[in-house]
Amino acid sequence: MAATRAAGFARARVELLVLPGLLIIVALFLYPLVSLVGISVYEKGDWTLRHYQRLIDVPAYVRVLQRTLVMGAATAFLCLLLGYPLAYRIATTSGRVRAALIAGILVPFWTSLLVRTYGWMVMLNPQGILNKALISAGVLDSPLTLINNTTGVLIGMTQIMLPYMVLPIVAVMVRLDPALMRAARILGAGPVRAFLRVYLPLTLPGIMAGVLLVFTISLGFFVIPALLGGTSDILLAQLVEVNINSTLNWGLAAALSTLLVVTTLILYAIAHRYFRVSALWGDIR
Amino acid sequence: MTKIDRSKVSGATRRTILKGAAMGGALAAMGPFVHGARAQAAKRVVFATWGGSWEKAMREAWFDPFTKKTGIEVVTVSGNTYAKIRAMVEAGKTEWDVVEVNPDFQWIGKKENLVEPLDFKIINSGDIMKMPGLVTDVSVPQVIWSKVMFYNTKAFSTDNHPKNWAEVWDVKKYPGKRTFGQRTSSGALEAAALADGVPMDKLFPLDVDRALKSLAKIRDNILWYDTNAQGEQFMTDGQAVLGLVPDGRALSAKKNGAPIDIEYNQSLMSWASMVIPRGAPNREGAMQLMAYCVSPEGQYNMGMAYTYGPIVQKAYEKIPKDRAATLSGGPQQQGKYVMTDEQWWGENKDQVTEKFNQWRLG
Repeated sequence: MAATRAAGFARARVELLVLPGLLIIVALFLYPLVSLVGISVYEKGDWTLRHYQRLIDVPAYVRVLQRTLVMGAATAFLCLLLGYPLAYRIATTSGRVRAALIAGILVPFWTSLLVRTYGWMVMLNPQGILNKALISAGVLDSPLTLINNTTGVLIGMTQIMLPYMVLPIVAVMVRLDPALMRAARILGAGPVRAFLRVYLPLTLPGIMAGVLLVFTISLGFFVIPALLGGTSDILLAQLVEVNINSTLNWGLAAALSTLLVVTTLILYAIAHRYFRVSALWGDIR
Repeated sequence: MTKIDRSKVSGATRRTILKGAAMGGALAAMGPFVHGARAQAAKRVVFATWGGSWEKAMREAWFDPFTKKTGIEVVTVSGNTYAKIRAMVEAGKTEWDVVEVNPDFQWIGKKENLVEPLDFKIINSGDIMKMPGLVTDVSVPQVIWSKVMFYNTKAFSTDNHPKNWAEVWDVKKYPGKRTFGQRTSSGALEAAALADGVPMDKLFPLDVDRALKSLAKIRDNILWYDTNAQGEQFMTDGQAVLGLVPDGRALSAKKNGAPIDIEYNQSLMSWASMVIPRGAPNREGAMQLMAYCVSPEGQYNMGMAYTYGPIVQKAYEKIPKDRAATLSGGPQQQGKYVMTDEQWWGENKDQVTEKFNQWRLG
């Protein structure tokens, strides 16, 4: 009896450890989020939906939202394409090669986003290093337009988001038992079939985590499209910035942010329903 | 003698806005626990600036002589964004006494009730040039500056370069990219309207639809810059051959040896303003400082320290002629510029930005 009570106390005390984290989330995340929604519907003492009305009435806003979602999805796709083989290499080698590959991913990750974006401007412009090298090597006659258009934005975003794709996939891959692939081969599956039926499904949680991370973070970009984009490259966060800072229309900025948060939550709910995203957080049933 | 690094301004701005907005909330929450040092505030004025070399010039031309005269110390802080002014005022903890802003804030700030009325018994505005909007009941101007056509001298010679915006729009005769700022009020719309034949004295109120139609004609030839530094870079390394930038930017690039020259014809004149945010701890001192800045002496000092032009005609009496010809609004620019209707911008920026974005999305 006494022993169970002691165990109960111990458990309660362990649960107390969650409190600081919970408080931080409430104070620094939930409270600001609720105030944000508040700013979008409450103005100068009155409730209003006029900012949301404007988002509907002016077609530019829905088009920018669409564009933001498409760019986020495209970035996630490109990161997956480049990141999956890279993750496989990292997971299946060891020693120096692995350390070098991980360093290659993490060093840019630790570098300021702005510095990397300026780096791309130097690299990719028509007189930049890349075009000059390709022309002098005889590969190209005239420079490629790799910057100040959507291509430039995708290059910049993909490079910056790549670690968010690679790291979760590596984490899943290193936990896989290599014997499973051997078993598939012994039982007669060719390399492609073994990959598609055994390896790929088992690494799916890592892929889902990577795609979700990259997609969600990409929705908030505004430095890269502003610096590397062309005429039609406007993303939602750029509009939020203008409204907060330049026209002081905080109500509209808050409505735009709320729109983005809600859209993201809806997409997450869909992913959760059809792809069992909860498996990522260890909920395997 | 470089000029305000506006690129840094907007760069810092973008990176710090969200922090600024978040800070507003935090300040509001902390309100009761933060105690201002109002008692000591009378002997100092806090001035929120754009920073960089411009701040150094202000210190030399305005702050140091002002402190010598009045004993009031001028403390500068950076990050003078509209968002921060609003966050501070709404949290009831205004720490700044003077803020330098773009002129549209004279109207935006007043509409949002973020600024204090000025006492023109303390500030003598009598010497300031008579132009609409330059002085309002909540603001006085600092200096004038302009956005000018600039071109790459490797692409076009001094004799054979476009002399007006209509010629800039002629991409067959003058091939190559044109660079403009991607902010709505960067001047691209005004240039487009002028290119389409709108007379200089009829530019405002701006016919936005006509301007956008005109801009569409060179859509594929535009290289948008986000910061002025980027625009200068596009021109310096020849990615762009024509464009529109703040005059100081073009002047400093030219001075540093870049293949850049300026065409002053059809330039767009504007100015920088000073306001007192609502609830400023030292309004009295702030107005004394403003009074010194707009005095003929203060304006002469600035004309000698920086390439921005005086807003007081008297200041030109002592400025040497060759010096005057490098200043915004100096003799070299007379009859060649349009005064930007900043009130129109202050009242219409919202809707124009929406139309411009719509146009950009194609």
